[in-house]
Amino acid sequence: MTDTSTAEHESQEPQPDAWATVVRLVAGGIGEGVDRVLQASAALDAMATEPDSGPMLVKENPDVMALVGLASELPHLTASAAESAQRFAYPVTRTVGVAVNTVLYLAEVTGVAPFVAGLTEPTRTAIQEERERLTKVGTAEYARGRVLAVYSFEESIAAIVDLVSESPELAELVREQTIGITGSAVNEVRQTGASADSLTEGVIRRLLRRPAQGLPPQVVEEP
Amino acid sequence: MTKPEDSPLNGRAAGFVTRLLAYVMDAVIVAGMIALGGWIAVLLDNLLETFGIETRAALAAIYVFVIPVIAALYYVVFWSLTGRTVGKWFMGLKVVNPDGHPPSIGRSFARLFGYLVSAVVFWLGYVWVLVDPQRKAWHDHMANTFVVYDYRRSSRDFVMTGQTTDEKAD
Repeated sequence: MTDTSTAEHESQEPQPDAWATVVRLVAGGIGEGVDRVLQASAALDAMATEPDSGPMLVKENPDVMALVGLASELPHLTASAAESAQRFAYPVTRTVGVAVNTVLYLAEVTGVAPFVAGLTEPTRTAIQEERERLTKVGTAEYARGRVLAVYSFEESIAAIVDLVSESPELAELVREQTIGITGSAVNEVRQTGASADSLTEGVIRRLLRRPAQGLPPQVVEEP
Repeated sequence: MTKPEDSPLNGRAAGFVTRLLAYVMDAVIVAGMIALGGWIAVLLDNLLETFGIETRAALAAIYVFVIPVIAALYYVVFWSLTGRTVGKWFMGLKVVNPDGHPPSIGRSFARLFGYLVSAVVFWLGYVWVLVDPQRKAWHDHMANTFVVYDYRRSSRDFVMTGQTTDEKAD
């Protein structure tokens, strides 16, 4: 219930401007979103530097799944995670593989394969293991990036919708604008219709050579 | 906020274009009611047929006789209660007696019957509004009714809530 003084005060306030409100909401949302991204980015960096973080499968790793929940505020970070996985993990493993195969090929064609094989066996095994590890990491990063990107997008949209829908200022604004547009449109149609009435009747009267009529006949007093 | 004020045309006879637009809106609504009734009848028939109950003839009879009656009541009820149908409300029109009040139920039925008469000769009874000194159609002459402008202009709040912003603040 609003008392009289408050109502008078409110009636003297300027009407909220639609565009200003929308811009303020969007700008506020973006600012808040950037803060959350920075915080989440730091959290992700901390997780990435943990000593136990090795090759993993996305669905089996609770940390990753926790990160999925965290990713509701991470659109930029998740996109860059996916991008970096593609850019670095796969080229590295591919380059290492090509190098190993080249060495083996050269050893084979030069006839020193048995000798070289004995020398390079530990190195080759280590490289192969490293390659497999990098492949797994790259796959996990790529998959994680995709999952995070999807969740980020959905959660971001939901967050924006919540922000807008929970704004009482915007709700009031929409209500007033809707009423105004509806009422104005109806009045416009009515007044245009009345003008068209007079115009049409004027044309007919001219065709029938009757004298022009001013205002429509007042047939009843207003009830 | 501008206060709502009566249109200077209020109480004056409405012309052909406005009445035509209101008539078309009402016709669309009534056609929708009839189509909805037909759809429900078909749905009911299919439903009962699955239980082996043959109702098509009965439903057809109901549809032919009852649905038009319901559609006709749309006009009579609205005219006699408020003087406005939905279409007339939208166009800011009102059907009134010579004393300015909504017509009685009997007069509304007479006016509805006049609709049919006006439409018989190529809708000449409707077009008669253009040449009649008091802008009356044939059905208006038959029922002794008028269609007048009746609305408030600059009343954006009043249209929806019946209360102006100034009144709310008081």
